[in-house]
Amino acid sequence: MSISIHTSISAAVYENENQRLRDERRKALLGVRGLRKRFREHNRERLLFDIERIEIATHSAYVLTGINGAGKSTLLRVLGGLERAEIDSLRFACDDVLRVHPYPRALREAIVYVHQHPILFSTSVAHNIGYGLQLRKMPKDEIARTVADAMAWAGVTHLQDHDPAKLSGGEKQRVALARAKVLQPKLLLLDEPTSNLDGAAREQVIELIPTLVEAGSSVVIACHDRDLINLQGVQRMKLRDGRLEYR
Amino acid sequence: MALPMVDATLHAFALLFTGDAGLWHIIWVSLKTSVIGLLLAAPPAVLLGYLIAMNRFRGRRIAIWLAQAALSLPTVLIGLLLYLLLSRRGPLGELQWLFSQPGIVFGQCVVALPVLLAFTLAAVQGLDPRYAETAVALGASRRQVMLRVLYEGRFGVMAAVLSGFGRVISEVGCALMVGGNIEGQTRTITTAIALETSKGEFAQGIALGIVLVALALLMNGALMLLQGDAHAARERG
Repeated sequence: MSISIHTSISAAVYENENQRLRDERRKALLGVRGLRKRFREHNRERLLFDIERIEIATHSAYVLTGINGAGKSTLLRVLGGLERAEIDSLRFACDDVLRVHPYPRALREAIVYVHQHPILFSTSVAHNIGYGLQLRKMPKDEIARTVADAMAWAGVTHLQDHDPAKLSGGEKQRVALARAKVLQPKLLLLDEPTSNLDGAAREQVIELIPTLVEAGSSVVIACHDRDLINLQGVQRMKLRDGRLEYR
Repeated sequence: MALPMVDATLHAFALLFTGDAGLWHIIWVSLKTSVIGLLLAAPPAVLLGYLIAMNRFRGRRIAIWLAQAALSLPTVLIGLLLYLLLSRRGPLGELQWLFSQPGIVFGQCVVALPVLLAFTLAAVQGLDPRYAETAVALGASRRQVMLRVLYEGRFGVMAAVLSGFGRVISEVGCALMVGGNIEGQTRTITTAIALETSKGEFAQGIALGIVLVALALLMNGALMLLQGDAHAARERG
């Protein structure tokens, strides 16, 4: 009798946990309404994009495509808080963000942008990966453990004491991904992570991206790369004529 | 004609290596006032140089123009302005810094400030903007971004500090007008050289000149080493 009750309770707890996880997955992570970016060109103001809404769900992957000059990188930089734009409203993890320039600390720590050509600080590879954790005042031994795990994940353990300036493009990109991953960002913005990479370096980077979503981040990737666009489970967005289309 | 020169030079070396108390006191006052002045000027100048380099604001170009123009301001003019400020009837007269070492330190601060500011500005402007962006993207606060950027531009900032030191240790106008060249108190290397030469006493002037040249060689050697490292780092990048 007691075994049966115990089993029923366990099943209910398990079901509730599953439901909670499903709800969590459906939750909107980022919601932007009315996003416009203008800039001056030859003394004339030009509207780069005018986006009615952007919805990014938790634990999801998106690719953002569009021709060169469509504004993909600029859109990622705006979402990453690196560039100013006109924003009517912004919600992040169900909270209204009242100040968007600059982002409040919580948002700065939750969203990480990785540059198309990542730059590494002139320290060591291990210090680069642990930099964001230092900013978050994580204890040193925990940083060392997390950095070691991340280096193994990115396949750069053998480079840990190398001068970052001496790394190849693919190695730099993997170190930059590891540097972003250790922060467990809720939203990771990757700007053309495979551009300028070929062969094995490109494939290694592509293999890392789905594992970022598995680790709990939502990922938006601006790219032209067919293999990234066709990744399984990835939702597609296209920036065309200043508008964002969901496909 | 050459013989008195040789005699004076030999005497100068004798003064240096026999530990002439008066001579070494002058060197001590010079080094002390220059280093303290530089240390006081460096934090605000580096901060200001960084802020002007990193921020876009109305009047920024004017600020850069003024900072660069201040580099060519004669130190004797700075001395005159400070003299008027520090003189008994001046707005800072109550401090009683005129003809005192604090007065020279104040003067060295003002002399070093534009050099430090302009060189830091140039160093930060010359850096890849992705350093700051990456720090922001990884969650750095404004202060943390500044520390990261200054670290990445450390060769340039160190060059700024060394150049500032070169400027204050070798200037004569401000130290003379604000310090008053009082023996045992405010006499510095450069003011002593000017005085001894005018008296026809070349030995002490030459001895102090040797110290200045040695310091200049030391500073420029350090600067070259730093620049060499920076070039090597750029080439690696």
